[in-house]
Amino acid sequence: MKTLVLGLGNTILCDDGIGIYVARSLAGRLGAAADVKEAELAGLDLIEMLKGYERAYIVDAIELDGEEPGTVFRMRPDDIRSTPRLASFHDINLVTALELGRRLELPMPREVVIFGVQVADALTLGESCTAAVELVIGPLCDEIAGEIAQAPHRNISIGLSERRKRGA
Amino acid sequence: MASGKAVDAVYKVKIPAAAAKLRELYYMAHYIHSHTAHFYALAAPDFVVGPDAPPAERNILGLVNKVGIDIGREVIRQREITQIIQQMIGGRATHPVWNLPGGVTRALAREDRETIKGYVPGLVQFGELGLKLFDDLVLRNKGYLDLILGDGYELVTNYMGLVDDKNRVTFYDGTVRVVDPDGVEIDRYRESEYLEHVAEHVEPYTYLKFPYLKKLGWQGFKEGKGTSIFQAAPLARFNVASGMATPKAQAAYEKMFATFGRKPVHKLMGMHWARLIELLYAAERLAELIKDEEILDPNVRVIPSSTPSEGVGIVEAPRGTLTHHYVTDSRGIVTRANLIVGTTNNNAPISMAVTKAAKKFVGAGGEIREGLLNRVEMAFRIYDPCFSCATHSLPGQMPLVIEIKNAAGETIRTVSR
Repeated sequence: MKTLVLGLGNTILCDDGIGIYVARSLAGRLGAAADVKEAELAGLDLIEMLKGYERAYIVDAIELDGEEPGTVFRMRPDDIRSTPRLASFHDINLVTALELGRRLELPMPREVVIFGVQVADALTLGESCTAAVELVIGPLCDEIAGEIAQAPHRNISIGLSERRKRGA
Repeated sequence: MASGKAVDAVYKVKIPAAAAKLRELYYMAHYIHSHTAHFYALAAPDFVVGPDAPPAERNILGLVNKVGIDIGREVIRQREITQIIQQMIGGRATHPVWNLPGGVTRALAREDRETIKGYVPGLVQFGELGLKLFDDLVLRNKGYLDLILGDGYELVTNYMGLVDDKNRVTFYDGTVRVVDPDGVEIDRYRESEYLEHVAEHVEPYTYLKFPYLKKLGWQGFKEGKGTSIFQAAPLARFNVASGMATPKAQAAYEKMFATFGRKPVHKLMGMHWARLIELLYAAERLAELIKDEEILDPNVRVIPSSTPSEGVGIVEAPRGTLTHHYVTDSRGIVTRANLIVGTTNNNAPISMAVTKAAKKFVGAGGEIREGLLNRVEMAFRIYDPCFSCATHSLPGQMPLVIEIKNAAGETIRTVSR
């Protein structure tokens, strides 16, 4: 299955760079199993990035009320509400981008998984993540690489439904 | 681009001609990219699908249903091409990494030039396509034409824009010109003089400031002749200028003003039309620059030798005149900075246009007509699809609340998203 890992973010805004850092850590590790890309883009540009892949893993920062920094949420496109790029106010959102690509009969991924990493600080200028978010990079890379290779691995991500169960 | 020009000024260096042309070339691709998203993804659904259509249809998907798959693909394809051009020239499509004090980091490779040349016909045709669509789907539809020519979206202010030495619209470099509501020039300044001409009013309820013409003083949110408020965006640029510097865009410019029957045009929906003409201009200008032999000149940077101190850079950003002002210490470390970004110029006009639209479209007795919220939002989208660049705020959804008050100022109904 032609697979893409796409890290989104901005590496000069602390934890907002988490998607990029995960992508960089995975680059060279996945071999022919997946392409790895990084981008600061959103909206219509996502169509071009996702076009031609059957499956896509997208990593981006997320900021949900009351969540611990470093918590990783595993989501589907319909779950997207709060990541800076995938719910872009400046352009179309991910769901619309996927649907538009399909409407234009472009080969869009059938399966899209989004990992949203809860940030502690995505507004201060800084070229690295805060400690709690930094700790996530290795385990999240292991989860993504393990899932792509269908090898045994430990999942650190939780679904949004688990968040709801916790009463958030 | 404004920051690049500002740091040139901080280091008191004049950049080589090829560097200026490369920056402008990059910028034309950026304009096409930005105007395409603004019009096709965020503004056109209001016209082409209809202002009263349900939100589930009034979006780019509804637009594609209306105009067809081939045009939808063309929008995506030409946007992708402009991203490729920007990346090729500037290292990155968004946030380029090749602007330096004194010029740019690298010259344009001959093979990259040939690649870009190959894109040119498609980009110019794409610019023409936008105007044809506007003509077919908007101008020939009486309802939409009435929306454009009617009084729901009208604001009479001064206008600001960058012009070349023949007073034509220019985006990368020129003189800032200001005309009054009758089109009479009332101000003109170079970058370093901006503080003598523009000031920023502050209101306690917002951290976004309200620029105004300094010599006229802050007079409040007042429109009409004598106001100190100005607009700075595509239609403002057209009102300020004598015309366009490329032939197809000039023809479209003349047609637009002939349709409105006057200049300056105060009908705000003309902004979208002007935006599409600018898209065509950017494609034509890109074609001119890529043909210019000097674009391959390897001399693209002058190494600065002066002690850095202070500088201002001004360009026309897609959504208005963009000013960057930096003060540095002797090492070039910024100690003070002021930015007036495109939409900030339009803060007061946006506030006034939204107010007027709300008053116009709320019926007598506070009756909420279908599509009211959208018609109010449309007043906003004329200037900016989102506001996020001007405020750096990410609310995640349009935090729109309309309070309908009676004559005593009491809220009788609230409508919100």
